[in-house]
Amino acid sequence: MKEISTNVLIGKNNFAKRITLPSIIILVLTVVGPLGFLLYASFFDWSLAVPIPPRFAWFLNFGLVFKDARFWNAFKNTSVLMITGIIAQSILGLIIAFLLNRKFRFKKLAITILALPIMVTPVVLGFNWRIIFHEHYGPLNYIIRLLGGAGSSWIADPKLALFSIFLVDTWQWTPFVTLILLAGLQSIPHQIYEATDVDGATGWQTFWRITLPLLRPMFVLVILFRIIWIFKIFDPVYILTGGGPGITTETLSLYTYISWVKYWKVGYTSALALVQLVIMTIIATIFVRKVMQRRRA
Amino acid sequence: MRKVYLFILVTSLLLVFSCSMLVQGQTKFNDVTITAFCDAGHNALPFEWYADEFAKAGIKVNVVTAPFANIYEKLKSEFIAGTGAYDLIVLFPMYLGEFAGMGYLKPLDEYAEKYDPRLDDIAEGFLKLYDYYGGKLYTLPYDGDVLSLYFRKDLFNDETEKSNFKKMYNKELASPETWDEVLDVAEFFTRKSGETLAGKVLDSDFYGFAFLAQRGGFAYAWWLAEFASRGGKYFDQDMNPMINAEEGVIALQRLIDLLPYCPPDVLAYGYDELTNALILGRTAMCLQWPCNWKKGNDPTVSKIVGNLGVTHVPGVMKDGKLVYRAPMPCGRTLAVAKDSKNPEAAYYVAKLLSDDFSLADVSTPQTGLDPFRKSHFSNPGAFSGFAPEKEASEYLAAIDNNLTYGFPDLSLPGTAQYIDVLEVYLGKAYTKELSPKEALDATAKEWNSITDSLGKANQIKIYNELLVGWKEVGLID
Repeated sequence: MKEISTNVLIGKNNFAKRITLPSIIILVLTVVGPLGFLLYASFFDWSLAVPIPPRFAWFLNFGLVFKDARFWNAFKNTSVLMITGIIAQSILGLIIAFLLNRKFRFKKLAITILALPIMVTPVVLGFNWRIIFHEHYGPLNYIIRLLGGAGSSWIADPKLALFSIFLVDTWQWTPFVTLILLAGLQSIPHQIYEATDVDGATGWQTFWRITLPLLRPMFVLVILFRIIWIFKIFDPVYILTGGGPGITTETLSLYTYISWVKYWKVGYTSALALVQLVIMTIIATIFVRKVMQRRRA
Repeated sequence: MRKVYLFILVTSLLLVFSCSMLVQGQTKFNDVTITAFCDAGHNALPFEWYADEFAKAGIKVNVVTAPFANIYEKLKSEFIAGTGAYDLIVLFPMYLGEFAGMGYLKPLDEYAEKYDPRLDDIAEGFLKLYDYYGGKLYTLPYDGDVLSLYFRKDLFNDETEKSNFKKMYNKELASPETWDEVLDVAEFFTRKSGETLAGKVLDSDFYGFAFLAQRGGFAYAWWLAEFASRGGKYFDQDMNPMINAEEGVIALQRLIDLLPYCPPDVLAYGYDELTNALILGRTAMCLQWPCNWKKGNDPTVSKIVGNLGVTHVPGVMKDGKLVYRAPMPCGRTLAVAKDSKNPEAAYYVAKLLSDDFSLADVSTPQTGLDPFRKSHFSNPGAFSGFAPEKEASEYLAAIDNNLTYGFPDLSLPGTAQYIDVLEVYLGKAYTKELSPKEALDATAKEWNSITDSLGKANQIKIYNELLVGWKEVGLID
C-alpha cells in the first residue's frame, strides 16, 4: 500500500490546514469567543439589574474580587472539599481497586454496581442524599439511632454541612478513581511481580517500590480530573444546602452563579470567573509540572 | 336515492358549519395560544384544571414551570434577552418594582375596564401594596400570602399542660400574643423523647417552635415579623438602611434565642419542612403561610386534623397596646409581559384565575393558594369539603386580620440581591458566626453598596413611590 506522504498533508495545497479549519472555527466560537467576552466584560462596571450603561472600570472588578470576603469564604470551602475529597477518594479508590484486582465470582457485576454512582444525575443524587440526610426521617440517622447514637442534623448543622457534601462527593466519585486505578493495576505486566517474587521482595516493598510508581500516571490523571471537577462543584451543593446554613457551604461555582443570576453583576462575575480560571490553571500546571519533574528524576 | 343521500350530506355539512360559526361567535378570542409561567408544584394546578374553561374563551394555555427558588433568574433572563417567551406570569410581588419599573410588564388598567376583575373585592392591603406600581395596575392577585401563627389547639387546651404552664410561668397557657410569650411557650413545650406531652409518652423529641431559615425561600420574613411589629423599616426616605436599628437586632436575637426550642435541623427548613414539622406532630407552633391550615386539615397528609389553631402573628406591647405586623412574603400575583403577542388573552386568563375561579382554588387543600378577596373571607362554607365551617371562619378571620396589618416585601430593582445578602447575614447570626448587631451592620453596609451600584437617585425615586402605597394603607405616617 502506498504511504501517504507528509508533503501531501502539509504541502502546497494546505490540505492539513483545510481539514483542521472547521475544528479551529468551532474552538474559536465555543471557547475563545466566550473567554474573550469574559475578559472584555471583566473590565466594565456592568449590571443588568438596572438599565445603566456599562462603564469602563479598568481593574476595579478584579480588586473587588480579592477584597470580597464571600469570595474567600467560597475559596476556602472549595479548597477544603478539594483537598479532603482527593485524599479520601484516592485512598479509598486504591483500596477498592486492589480488592477488585483479583479473581472472584461476580467480579463484572461488582464493577458494574460500583460504577452506578457515577452515572446518577447530580440533581437526582442531591435530592436522594437530602432524604438520606434528613434529621428526623432520613435512613442515615435511623441507622445511627438503631446503633445507639443520637443522629445529627447533617445539612443544617454548620459544623457538619460541608462534611456532608464531602461525603456525597466521595460516594459519587470514588468509583471513578477506583476504575481508573483498576485499569492501571491491570496494565502492570505480570512479569514484574514474578521478578519481585524471585528477588524476595515483601508485599509492602512490592507495593511501595513497584505498584505505586507504576500507578503514578493514573494518579496524575484522576487527581487532575478531580481537582478540576471539585473546583467546579455545583449541583450537590445547590440541592443539598444551597450554600447554607449562612454561607458555610458556599463554593466558588455557587457564588459565581448567584453573583450572575441573582445579582446580575456581569462585570464582577466575569472577573470572578477569570480569577478562578487563573487559579485553576496555576494549580493544574504546578501539579503536572511537579509530577513530571519527579518522573524525569 | 342518491339525491337523498346528497341532500343529507349537504344539510349535515351546513349544520356543522353553522354550529361551529355559532360557537366561534361565542368565544372571546379566536384560537389564541398563550404561554403562562408559574412556579412548579401545586400552585400551577389551576392552569390544568381550567384548560377547558380557557378553551371555551378561545384560549389555549401552555404552562411553563420553574422551581420556586429560581423564579427570579428565569424571568429576568427572559426579559433581558427580550425573548417574549411568556405572556402571563405568576409573579412574586417583591419583583414588581424591578420588573414594572424596568418596563417588562404591561399595565392592565385598559383591560381591567373591559373585563372587570372586581378590584373592590380584593383585600385593600394586598391590592395597594402588591397590584399597583406607580399608580398603575400591573397585576391581579392569585395567592393571598401572609404569615400567621399556627398552634396545636389540643396541646394548648390540655388541662394538665395548662396547669403545668401556670405553675411554671404564673400565667395562663394560650396562643402567644407577644414575642416574649412565644419564647416562654416554646420553652415550655420542648420535650425529650420519653417525656409526656398532653398525657402521651413521646417516642421522639418534641419542639415548641419552628421557623423557616433556608436561604432563598423568603426566610427573611420570619425575622421581619418582629422587626416590623416593632416599627422597623427597610430604609429611610434617602435609602439609608434601617435594618440594623434596635428593632432589627432584637428581632434577630429573638430567633436565635428560640433556636434551642426548634428542631435541630431548623436551619435547613424550607416551606415543606416547616409545614411537615407542624402537621406531622413534631412542633407545638410556627409562623407559616395560610395554606398551612389547609394542609393541616387534610387527612391525607396531616396527623393533626382538627387540632390546628390559627391567630395573628405575635407582636409587641407599645404603650400598653399590642402592636403586630404580619409579613406578606411571596404572595403570588398574575402579570402580563410587555412583549406578549396576546396581552388581552393573557389578561383574560389572569382575570379568570384571580376572580372567577379563585374561591375554588383558595379553598382546596390541593393548592397552596390562599384567600385574598373579601368574597373569600365571607365564604367559610367553601372550605366545608375538608373543614368544619366554624373552624374555617376562625381561619379566615385570622388571615383577614393579618392581611389588614400586613407588612409588604421589599420591591425594588435589586430586591433579589438585597434579600439574598440579608439572608446570608441572618444565617451567619443563626450559626453564631456573627452577633446579631454585627450581622445586621454588615448587611446594611452591603445594602449601601448595592444601592450605589444600582444608582442611588433612581433607587430613592422608586422606593419613595413604594412608600406612597404604604402610606395609603397606613403602614407609615
